[in-house]
Amino acid sequence: MTYLTSLEMPGRRYGLSQVLRSELTKIASLRSTMWTLLVTAVGTLAVTILSTSSVRHQGQGFYRGFDPTNQALTGLALGTLAIGVFGVLAVTGEYGTGTIRSSLAAAPRRPLLLIGKVLVVGAIALVVGEVLIFASFWIGQAVLSSGRAPTATLGQPGVLRAVVLSGAFLALLGLLGLGLGVIIRHTAGAVAAYVGITFLLPVLLQRIPGTPSRYTPVGILANSVSAVVPQSHQVSAPTGFLLMVLYCTIILGIGTALIARRDA
Amino acid sequence: MSPARAARIAIPIAAALSGWMESLDAKAFHPARSAYNHLLCLTQTNDIPRRRIDEVLDIVGLTSVAHDRVGKYSLGMGQRLGIAGALLGDPGVILFDEPINGLDPEGIRWVRHLLRDLAAEGRTVFVSSHLINEMALTAERLIVIGRGALIAETSVSEFTSRSAADAVRVVTPMSTTFVSVLHGAGAEVTMDDDGAIVVTGMTSAEVGELASQRSLTVHELVPLRASLEDAFMELTRDSVEFRTKEAS
Repeated sequence: MTYLTSLEMPGRRYGLSQVLRSELTKIASLRSTMWTLLVTAVGTLAVTILSTSSVRHQGQGFYRGFDPTNQALTGLALGTLAIGVFGVLAVTGEYGTGTIRSSLAAAPRRPLLLIGKVLVVGAIALVVGEVLIFASFWIGQAVLSSGRAPTATLGQPGVLRAVVLSGAFLALLGLLGLGLGVIIRHTAGAVAAYVGITFLLPVLLQRIPGTPSRYTPVGILANSVSAVVPQSHQVSAPTGFLLMVLYCTIILGIGTALIARRDA
Repeated sequence: MSPARAARIAIPIAAALSGWMESLDAKAFHPARSAYNHLLCLTQTNDIPRRRIDEVLDIVGLTSVAHDRVGKYSLGMGQRLGIAGALLGDPGVILFDEPINGLDPEGIRWVRHLLRDLAAEGRTVFVSSHLINEMALTAERLIVIGRGALIAETSVSEFTSRSAADAVRVVTPMSTTFVSVLHGAGAEVTMDDDGAIVVTGMTSAEVGELASQRSLTVHELVPLRASLEDAFMELTRDSVEFRTKEAS
């Protein structure tokens, strides 16, 4: 029995573009990641329709200071959860199954592997986020216009910024999940940590004076980034967005240090 | 010998022998991914052409189930997929850690052949194993490691002949006479529980010659070769981490 005739292989380059292709295949070849993204989309749009249709027939007084853009983007709460799980699973799916050992045998430069994951997960989450936000915006406005509620257009000041930044914010939430996944390495633990940071933390901080909840990721998304009408006691949209970039950098920085040091 | 320790020592050796190497891990894949896609992810990181995936799947005999979810695989099939992954890069040095654990007899035989074939192709094949008699069938050279230290690095035959002297087992109805004859010829003799004589210090040929010269009846004449396992136990007696008590 002879099967291998040559000990030489063509190619054998190994760098960022090779890692990126592999990471893309990893995500595309799993139904679970596809399902997570589908749930993100369906859930977000469903909440958008519900939350806009519930306010389309209110009295005139209700619409004083009404922000139709922000109203159409409330569905993001569900999208926030699902996109975070998507980010978590991109890493813990490897640790939980042992795939990480194969991955690191094939690509031993660990920071490079993590950079590949960040870029692929970030890019997919960005595309999904933007598509979803634009869809939410338009569907939301369509629902609102079927009632007496005022509506927004992308041409109005601040609207395009709110929509585009909200989509990008979803991508950052996906990366936050990814970073937590690298640090915690267990799906349940990382998802719990993510839910704690995004949903529990703002609630816990509510009673503390000085509204510190405005600095939490979901606080920033709901009250700063997705708002066209500036709200009092909230950080501005650009500041909030940069804060979120900072959070992700810190979490991913810790993750990079840990993945380089720990046994897989 | 712990396999982890063996690997820690064998890996630098292997890495020194060749520019790079592959290791095998039988459970390092996502159960929801197909074998083909698992291998595809690995080839892409190293720019290995896709046709190589079909080649290695063919080598390990998984072609017909290449697009099934790996989660449905048996332990042996998982082992084969791990080997396929290790072969992807056509490595000059391969390290197998306990490759036959949990395999059925057919699978064990297959792995044994594969290891030999890989070596015959000019590769260096490292196998770490606790199954010593299996190693006697497969390996050419042995590296014995105990408590992190190298105990022996030799060929299988040299290893067995070096320890535990060979003996000859004789069954005869005239054992009293035979024993005194053997003593006279300078051999050492002990009695087995079943009444057989165990002779050391003489080859089986010499014992046979002696019997025919003295016209002694012999029912059984068996050369007792020290097994690799015996040799191993003797050699590592002082460096076993968690020794068990001899069953009495």
